[in-house]
Amino acid sequence: MVAVWLTLVIIFGFLIKIPDIPILKQSARNLFLHVPMWFTMSVAFVMGFIYSIRYLGTPSREIDRKAETATMVGIVFGICGLLTGSLWARFTWGTWWTFAEPKMNLAALAMLIYVAYFVLRSAFDDPEKKAKISAVYNVFAATTIPFLLYIIPRQMASLHPGAQGNPAFSEITAVQLRLIFYPAVIGFIGLALWIYDIVYRYKTLQDRLEKNI
Amino acid sequence: MTNFLMQEDTVAAVDTLTKSFSQKWDAMDKIDSASPILQMAASHDLIFIVLGVSLIIWFVLLIFLIRLDRKVDKLEQELDNELK
Repeated sequence: MVAVWLTLVIIFGFLIKIPDIPILKQSARNLFLHVPMWFTMSVAFVMGFIYSIRYLGTPSREIDRKAETATMVGIVFGICGLLTGSLWARFTWGTWWTFAEPKMNLAALAMLIYVAYFVLRSAFDDPEKKAKISAVYNVFAATTIPFLLYIIPRQMASLHPGAQGNPAFSEITAVQLRLIFYPAVIGFIGLALWIYDIVYRYKTLQDRLEKNI
Repeated sequence: MTNFLMQEDTVAAVDTLTKSFSQKWDAMDKIDSASPILQMAASHDLIFIVLGVSLIIWFVLLIFLIRLDRKVDKLEQELDNELK
């Protein structure tokens, strides 16, 4: 179902007529791809955050595994968001990367914070210690996300919509674009949940096998 | 004052964002002098950028899937060894 839904989103994302926006031109269609990456990443990280808190309340291997899997899926979509943003920036802002753009750099920083989660996990042999310390770390990592991606960029000069002096998404986005944008967000979140489920099942099997050995 | 001017001068020519609210967008103005590949990518009202973005997402997910596939293979082998 997710597959059909996303296929339709992509097809219509290319086919619908969109209003002519200077500079962006046809690349405004990237709204259906680049922005849902970050929405999906946020959903995955929120899942990881919730499971990490639940782990601290009631420690169990399943919950730790869920937190780890959700965080991993979040990073994959975050990387997609960074790379697509970089390509888009080259042809509309004139550079692959710039340190004058706060959202871009803080998003990269957020990725590094989450990569550190997996570095931390690999540092422990004892599974319980690993799960507990990484759960604490994940709570910290998740609390930085709203600041890095939302609060700070909005205060600073930025080319992203919604920053100081710039109109926000709701004020400038045309109706036609929203018609595809919201289904695209739902579609990519569905895709992420599907990937999450596959990885989680894989990790469960791996765990069961290790216990038997 | 001179210090301030020097800082202005050291701003890289390609960086159009340092003055974020500048109305001048160098990206597309200078596309004629960019490499042929970049010019081709920017043709047809930037539609190929959308293609590029789609392909990036596809390839990142593909790499992720291939890695997962390999891990599952490994798991299957371990299971086979167990059963023997």
